[in-house]
This record gives sequence, structure tokens and C-alpha cells, in this order.
Amino acid sequence: MKKNIVDLEYIIKEFPGVKALDNVQFHLKQGEVLAFLGENGAGKSTLMKILSGVYTKDSGTIKIDGQVIENMSPTKAQELGIAIIHQELNMCSHLTVAENIFLGREITKSGVLSAREMNRTAAEVLGRLKINISPETIVGSLPVSKQQMVEIAKALSTDARILIMDEPTSALTSAEIEELFRIIHQLKSEGCSIVYISHRLEELQHIADRVIILRDGQYVTDMEYSKTNLDEIVSYMVGREITEKFPHIECKKGKKILEIRDLNAGHMVRDINLELYEGEIIGIAGLMGAGRTETTRAIFGVDPKESGEIILDGKEVRIKKPEDAIRAGIVLAPEDRQKDGLCTKLSVADNIALPNLDIVCNKLGVVNMKKQDKMTSETVSNLKIRLAGDYVDAGSLSGGNQQKVVVGKWLARNSRVVIFDEPTRGIDVAAKVEIYNLMNELKKNGIGVMFVSSEMPEIMGISDRIVIMCDGRITGELDREEAEQDQILKYATQFEKKIS
Amino acid sequence: MKKKVISMILCMAMTGAMLAGCGSNNGDSGNTAATQVPEATEAARETETAKDTEAIAEETDNAGESYTVFLITMDQMDQYWKNIDNGCLEAVAELGNIDYKWSAPDVKDDAKQIECINNAVAGGADAILLAANGPDAVTVALEEATAAGVKIIYVDSAANYPGEATFTTDNKAAGKTAGETMLEELESKGITSGNIGIVNVNAATASCVAREEGFREAFEGTDFEIMETQYGEGDAAKSKDIASAYITQGVVGIFGANEGSSVGAGNAIQESGDDIVGVGFDTSDTISELIKGGYILATMAQNPDIMGKEGIFTAEKVLKGEALTEIDVDTGVSVLMAGDF
Amino acid sequence: MEVSKKGIKKILAIRGMGQVLTVTVGLIMLCIVFGILNPAFFSGRNIGNLLRQIAPILLIGIGQSYVLITGNIDLSIGSVVGMSCMISATLMTKGVNPWAAVLITLIASLVVGFINGHLVATCQLPPFIATLGTMTIARGIAQIVNGNYNTDSIGEGAKRFRDFFYYGKTLGVYNTILIAIVIWLIFNFLLSKTRTGRHIYAIGSNVEAAKLSGVSIVGTTVKVYLVSAFCSFLVGIITCATAGMGTMDAGNSYEMYAVAASVIGGVSTLGGQGILLGTVIGASIWGVLQNGLQFAGAPVAIRNIVIGIIVVVSVLLDVVVRTGKFKKKSK
Repeated sequence: MKKNIVDLEYIIKEFPGVKALDNVQFHLKQGEVLAFLGENGAGKSTLMKILSGVYTKDSGTIKIDGQVIENMSPTKAQELGIAIIHQELNMCSHLTVAENIFLGREITKSGVLSAREMNRTAAEVLGRLKINISPETIVGSLPVSKQQMVEIAKALSTDARILIMDEPTSALTSAEIEELFRIIHQLKSEGCSIVYISHRLEELQHIADRVIILRDGQYVTDMEYSKTNLDEIVSYMVGREITEKFPHIECKKGKKILEIRDLNAGHMVRDINLELYEGEIIGIAGLMGAGRTETTRAIFGVDPKESGEIILDGKEVRIKKPEDAIRAGIVLAPEDRQKDGLCTKLSVADNIALPNLDIVCNKLGVVNMKKQDKMTSETVSNLKIRLAGDYVDAGSLSGGNQQKVVVGKWLARNSRVVIFDEPTRGIDVAAKVEIYNLMNELKKNGIGVMFVSSEMPEIMGISDRIVIMCDGRITGELDREEAEQDQILKYATQFEKKIS
Repeated sequence: MKKKVISMILCMAMTGAMLAGCGSNNGDSGNTAATQVPEATEAARETETAKDTEAIAEETDNAGESYTVFLITMDQMDQYWKNIDNGCLEAVAELGNIDYKWSAPDVKDDAKQIECINNAVAGGADAILLAANGPDAVTVALEEATAAGVKIIYVDSAANYPGEATFTTDNKAAGKTAGETMLEELESKGITSGNIGIVNVNAATASCVAREEGFREAFEGTDFEIMETQYGEGDAAKSKDIASAYITQGVVGIFGANEGSSVGAGNAIQESGDDIVGVGFDTSDTISELIKGGYILATMAQNPDIMGKEGIFTAEKVLKGEALTEIDVDTGVSVLMAGDF
Repeated sequence: MEVSKKGIKKILAIRGMGQVLTVTVGLIMLCIVFGILNPAFFSGRNIGNLLRQIAPILLIGIGQSYVLITGNIDLSIGSVVGMSCMISATLMTKGVNPWAAVLITLIASLVVGFINGHLVATCQLPPFIATLGTMTIARGIAQIVNGNYNTDSIGEGAKRFRDFFYYGKTLGVYNTILIAIVIWLIFNFLLSKTRTGRHIYAIGSNVEAAKLSGVSIVGTTVKVYLVSAFCSFLVGIITCATAGMGTMDAGNSYEMYAVAASVIGGVSTLGGQGILLGTVIGASIWGVLQNGLQFAGAPVAIRNIVIGIIVVVSVLLDVVVRTGKFKKKSK
């Protein structure tokens, strides 16, 4: 009988206006991988931050190895062997890999940094995990996926026995995910206990031993993974049965809305030709680095293009900057919500009004507050955005609600084509469904919908047509009925052969 | 919220400190008994209510009216202004019916001086003794002051606005004297040509600009070449750097146009050990030491105390309604050399 | 040719060297131009003076660089210079032994640094506001300390003090220059080879990540402001020694010169990057401009414009070269 290495009992944590954790129970057994599930806002991150000493609990007990621990702090947590890898990467981009790994616990000899030793040790840790990065690389120059590997290496270099991973795979390619799972299995065999937080429920089958579920700050249940199934898990998470995960609706295909001809914008966007019709949703599939995001940015006018025509409703539109696209009626909900989609320090109302100032301002450019309030409340109610008030900071909303604000601001201006880039990344199940429904609404109303996604089931579930990209080109196109997962994957891995 | 509160407190402290930068000094040395004045100086302004004032004024030595006079200088750094203040205090002690205040910005700045003038008017000034920083910048403030019934008397530097009287050094003439002193010394050493460096304050302060003009005039027609003027803002350390650079370029003489510039020039000459003729302007403890040490040949000592003293006397006369005999007084400079200390 | 290419590559590999090399080339060109305009610029006497004028700029540059690298700024530098000049001079004119006066001044300056550090890190005030506040207060202290007058001469008894900090030479080099070199060596070592130095870069790069890694944000921030105050203190003492008296407006605008020297040398105002070697070059460029423009006979009005243009150009270069490299997490 494996004993508990972590016991969190009757944990309560309140923030102004919201009870984040309400008498939560959490137990982690030695040497297991525990899948920690719950919608966004369920309290998973908060609980883990309490365990790792970043937050202080209001009441309850923390026990490690059966010992009660008082005054948990990041340093203490590290000493106890607790390491957390956050969803939002926490790397100092100006420092090297080794410097980041040893941040806060640098090795010194009589006050002087032992750079050589730190580099050596870092290389060892990276090598042990078979991660191919030099410890002297500046972190800022690494792609996000490699940075995440460095985070994992950092956690492990502290001889962590309890590893908490928060959405570790959201930025990884499937090859890297396999790599990660291999590492997780290796760590398990070495006696490490892992808390695995993820929304990608399909991954769990590869690694999870047990599952624990929170809902709205409360403990719901925990059980052996083998004794349950995805549908049951999802129903525990949302509190209701979800019969259909992907609400697809059939619409009659109408006239052509958008045509992209010979779009070229660097290596990542090459000879892209696309047609989008009324009454259909196009899903753009592919691996990370296939050029899908770059394509959306080229269409929207963010990145300069070398050649290509964009024809909207039969008329060519010249798009040199996002302003042109917006005016024409083509809008984009970008991949990185927080960085590109919202002004996190501004209020929700300000964000919604921002691209619509031509609508809410009068001729002199003065904002008509009544109009703005109307626009805001309409958007909020239409999209069912959960807010404490219209004037809260957009940055304080949960991922799902943030995404709704991002999309909402475009919907307020009757756009013609809405492009979504990874619309449901990091969003809980219930909110995902709302986004799908939104996309369907748009489709029903004859607005063109295009979305990029790395979640295969999502692509297959919502799209009417699937376009697959690889290495900057479109490598395949499938209708919904004929699409198979392995077929999509084949197209997605159709790299160009190098001349021998 | 806590952040905002502390920010606000800090901002208020800053504002307070900045307003205090337009500082005031009440005459505080010696003769305090004679300068005590009754509280009701406001009422003293109304000549119709002279009787009331007389009753209240019983506590003072004099039974006459008392007047509020402000001295507003360019700043309070140089001892020069302190000397004007000393002269004023002397006169105030003698007269006994003046409520005297000395006010000035912390640095030479037109806008700040305007503030001081406005504050003085609001503070109940009957007359203002003013050393105008810039000849045109303060005219509007002076117009308003005059409209409020305040009498203006200039000390050290006049503005382009009519005042009751002016007590200044003719800066241009003083500058010329400085130039002539340097020229005399050079010629007595057998030097008839070479470079001369001027360390000035800035291009805006009228008095310093006039001094430079006069200085340059003294060298007209000679074989000496005066180099491009450098400005040290009156800061002794900056002025020293400037003077040292002049010395490296081989000047035979350096002129410092005000107290700080002269200190810098003298220090540079001392350090160089070279035989350079230094002439300065104004006096201070450090300057007199430099002259005694032989590093500065001479300094143009203005007579700020006379300016202050006569200024106060004149103010009182004007406020009493008496006619003035002299309106434009050149209080002159003395050339101070080693032997004078 | 092969060897020197490898050598250059190795040097370029050192973090921050790219910008440093660029500005060094700029510095050399400036010197050549000024030397051509007026050969007296290169005279032994002027080189000595020039280096001695660069020394105080370098010192305040070091202080400001430390603060900038953490992503903060110190606007109180100039006022602490003035405060320090006035306190030491006033004490000396009242007969206090110069070295005791220096010690008392040191304590006063460090108090300001301590306050700055806590206002920023503990009270979480924006550094611009916090140090703007202490800037005004310190300048006020500089004015009050001698009753709102500049001081008298600090007297003959201070001759050794003046020689030590400004007029004296050791081994043929002005003491001021040696002091600056020693201080630079110490603080460069601290910044590049100790744990605290590492933490300084970390905070500037990503303060959240640093916090989560157990770096003491408050401790490190207070330390950098103490360093800055210390450097300002030194320059105030040097100014007092130069003039032989205390002047209330000493150090006026120095915080801006310190920023300029740092930025020209490659220290980013966004934090997280830059090396003190760059600050040396930045301070040198600043000093050369001030000095050289006088030798070139340039009217003062031109001087400010020239200096301003050079600062803008170097910041532009900085931004253009770095665009897209390190995407900072939004704070």
C-alpha cells in the first residue's frame, strides 16, 4: 500500500470577492502520477501554489511524508523536494540555461560563482533527461517548447521528489510530448511523485495512475484512472453529463466569402491557396511550427507578405496592416491571448471598445459612454462572460473568459471573416463548448470561420473542412466525413525531402 | 490602495519641498528687538486707518506706520545676496518700522522668481526690492504687483519695467574694469598677446552677460584673443573643469563672471601652477583665500550691502510718500587684491 | 587573420560585448575627430584632466547601471551628490575632521539609498516616483544643512582630504582616476561573479521568475540602491574636494548623465542586460563630448544638441539590434 507523500487537508483560501478553495482535500501517493483535473477557476493552480509556498493558506493542514509543515515558503518547499513547473513559463530570458536552473541557489565558492560547476551539473541534468540543449544557451533564444524542457530540468535539478506540472504539454509538439512522457515514466521509476494538471484529457491514458477532480473550489472525487473513463471524468468536472463533446451543426454551404491566392510570407507561409464559403468552418491542422499562425498573421496584415491576393466577397482587398483587415471585415483572435489579444491592464469594457472606437465615438472622437456600456453589456451577455464588474482588469479573468473578450470585441462590429488561432488552449471544458457554440453561431449567420488548432479531436469535431499544413505549405485538404486521425497526421508530417 | 496613498503623500511632500525652494529668510541676526512689528501689518496699509494702527503699534519703539518690504534675489546661494540682505538688515534696524523678509528661488530661474514675486504680493508686501534674473521675464508679475499697489525698487539687476529707483552695479562698466585690471597686469609682465578664457554662468542672466560684454570691450584693439565663452552654471566644480581646459589650451588669463565661476577658475589656476592672470567677480570666503594665495589677481567686489541699505531707505521714503533725490544709483565696484585682505 | 577572427568571435560571445564594441569604435572616432579639430585635446595635461572628469561620471554610471539592470531607475543620484557635497563641506567648515565628516556623509547617503530601496521593493512604488521624491528631499537637505547658503572654504586643514580625492596623484595618475578604477573593479566583480550580481540580472529579466526561484527581491533591490547612493556619495565628496567648498546645486542633473552613460554603454532601461564595461565606455563618451566640444570651440547651444543626438542614436541602435531577440514577459 503506497503511503501518502502529500496530504492537504481542509484547505481554505480566500481572495477578495471569491473563495478559491473551500475545505479541499488532496492526497498524493508516493511514486504515482496523479492527474489533477478541473475547469479553469476550479482552484487547481491556487492549491498547488499553496503547496509550493507561493501562496499562504487561510486555514487547513499541509503534511509532507506525514509531517505537518508550518509556514511554507518557496525556499522551504524546495528543501522538502517540492518543485512546480508553471503553465506560464518562468524563465529569465536574458540568462543562460544553467543560470536559470540554478537561480536562487547558485553554487558559490567563498562568495564567487562557480560557473563551471553549475554548467557541468546543468549539462548532467539535461543529459540525464536526454534533452539536447547546451547549458550556456541564452534562454531567450530558445523556442517555447525547449524553454519548457529547461523548466523541467530546473525542477529536477533540485532533487525534487514531488513534481507538479501545470499544463506541461500545451506548447509541445507530439514528438516532444512523447519525450515528456518518457521522462515522466523515468522519474516515476526513480521514486518521484508527480501531480499532472492538464486539460488534454486524451493524454492521461498514457501516464495517469489516479485522478483527482476539483470543481468551483471544492473537492469532488478521486479514483483510480483505470476504474473510470473520459466521459465520467468530464461529467464530474462540469457537474453534468456532456453527451456530445463537439457540438457540430450542419449548414448549407453558400457562396464564396474569402479567397486567398498564392500567399507568400517567408519560409513559414508558402503558396497558400484557400477558399472559405458561407456556412462552413475550416479547421487548419498541423504540428507546431507548420506555419499556421504565421499564415493567419499574414492574412490579417500583422506580418508583411511578399505576394498574394486576398479576395473578400469577390472584391480584392489590399491588406498591409491590421487596420486594413479590420476595416474590410477580417478579424483575428490571436494565439497568445494575454500578449496579443488583450490589454490585460485595461478593463474589459476598454478592451471591447478598443477596435470599435469608430462605432462608440462621435465625430469629434469623444467616447460616448452610453454606447460603450451598451456594447459591453451586449457582448458580455451574448457570450456569457463571467465578470465581477464591467470595469475589472481584463488580465484578472480566467482563460476562457479572456478568450470570450478577445472574440467579443470583434463580434461587436459585424465582421465578415473571423479567424481563430488556438481558440480553446488553456480553457476549461464548459467554456470550450461555449466557444464552439459561438463558432457555430457565426457559421449559421453566414460569417466565415477559420480556426487553427493543435487538438486533433477538436479539429475533427468542429470543422466542416480540414486543411493540413506542414513546414509552411498546405499539404492536404479533407472533408469532415473522410477525415481520419492518422490521415491528418500523415499530411501534417509531410516534410519536404532535402536534395541528397 | 496603500501604494496610491504613499504615492500621494510623497507627491505632496515633493510639492511642499519645491514651494519651500522659494525660500524665505527673516532677518534674524542681532537687532531683533528693533525689528519687532505688530501683527496687523495688513491694516497698516490703509492710511485711513492710521489711528487704529497707531494704537496697536504702541508696542513698538516707533509710533509710526510700519511697512512690509520683501527682498527678492536671484537665488540664495552666493554670499553676494547675503551681503545685500545684511545691508537691508542694517537699514531695517536703523529705521525700526519695517517688517522685512528675504525671499528667493533655490536656483537662478525666471519662473521660480516670478512665483516668489507673486507670493510676496500675496503676503502683503508694500514694497519689493528685486534683483531681476531676466530683464523681461518678470515684467508681467511686476505689472500685477504694481497694480496691487506694491512699490518696486531694483537692486543689483533691473528689469525692463519702470521702478521707483535702481541700485545696481553697472555690470558692463564693472566687467570693463575687470578687463582693464587683467590687461594692466599682463602688460606689466610684458605679455601683449595670447588667449583669454571666460567662464560665465549662462546666456540668460543679464548681469553676467553684461559683465562679459564689458570685459570683451576692454580687450578691443589689443592683440589678445578671447576664446569662445564656456558656461559652468555658476557651479564651482564645473567651472574648474572649464578653466582647466582653457589652461591646457594655453590661455594667459581667465575671467570668472560670478562667484562660483571665479572659485572654479582660481582652483584651476592653483592646480596648474602656471602663471596665469585670474580675475574674478564677487567675494566669498573661498575667493579671498584664493586671492591671498596669489591664484586670483583681483576680484570685482560689488557693494551689495550698500544696495540693500540704500534700497530699504528708499523704499521707506517712497512708501511715506517722500520725493526721491536719486533714482538711478551705480553702487560701483571695488577692485580687491591681495593687499586688501 | 584566422586567429584574430576567432579572437573577435570569442569576445563577441561574452554577453553584452556587441554593444560595447560598437560604442568603443564610436569613442575612438570621437577622440580622433576632436584631436584633429584641436591637437591640444591630446596633450598630456588634457588627457589627465579628461580622465579625471570621466571618473565621477563613471562612478554615478556604475550606481545607475546597477539600478537599471534590475529594471528600476534612480533619479535621486544628482541630489545625493549635492547633499553629500554640502554635508561634508559644512562639517569641515565647522572644524570637524575631514575624515569624520566623510564618514558621517557616507552614513547619510546610505540612508537615502536604503529608503529608496524599500520605497521601491517593499512599498512597491514605481521607482520613477519614489526616487523623484527622495531626489527633492535630498536636494532640500543639501540646501538646509548650511542654512541655505553655499559654505565657506573648507580650509587649510582639508588639504590632505582635497589631495586624496581630487588634486593628488599616485604613481603619476590622479587619485580620482584611481578611485574610479578601484570602485569599478570591485563593483564589476560583484555584478558578474557573485550570487547577488546574478540575482540583479534575474530581477531585471523576469522578476516573477526570480521571486519564484527564491531570490529576495527586497534584499537585492535595496542593495542596488545602496550601491547607487554610495557612488553618489563618492562623487559628492570629490566635488567638495574639487571646489574646496560646498555648493548647494552640485550634482544638478547628474542622474540623467548617469542614465546616458549607462545606456550608451549598452545597459538597457528595461532591465536584465548590460555590462559595466559598457558603462566605462559610455561615461568616457560623455566626458569626451563635454571636454572635446570645448576644445573644438563649439558654442554651448550646439553642445546640448550634439550630446542629445548621440544619446538618442545609441538608444535607437540598442533597440533596433535587440528587437525580436528577447521577448520580455509583460510585467
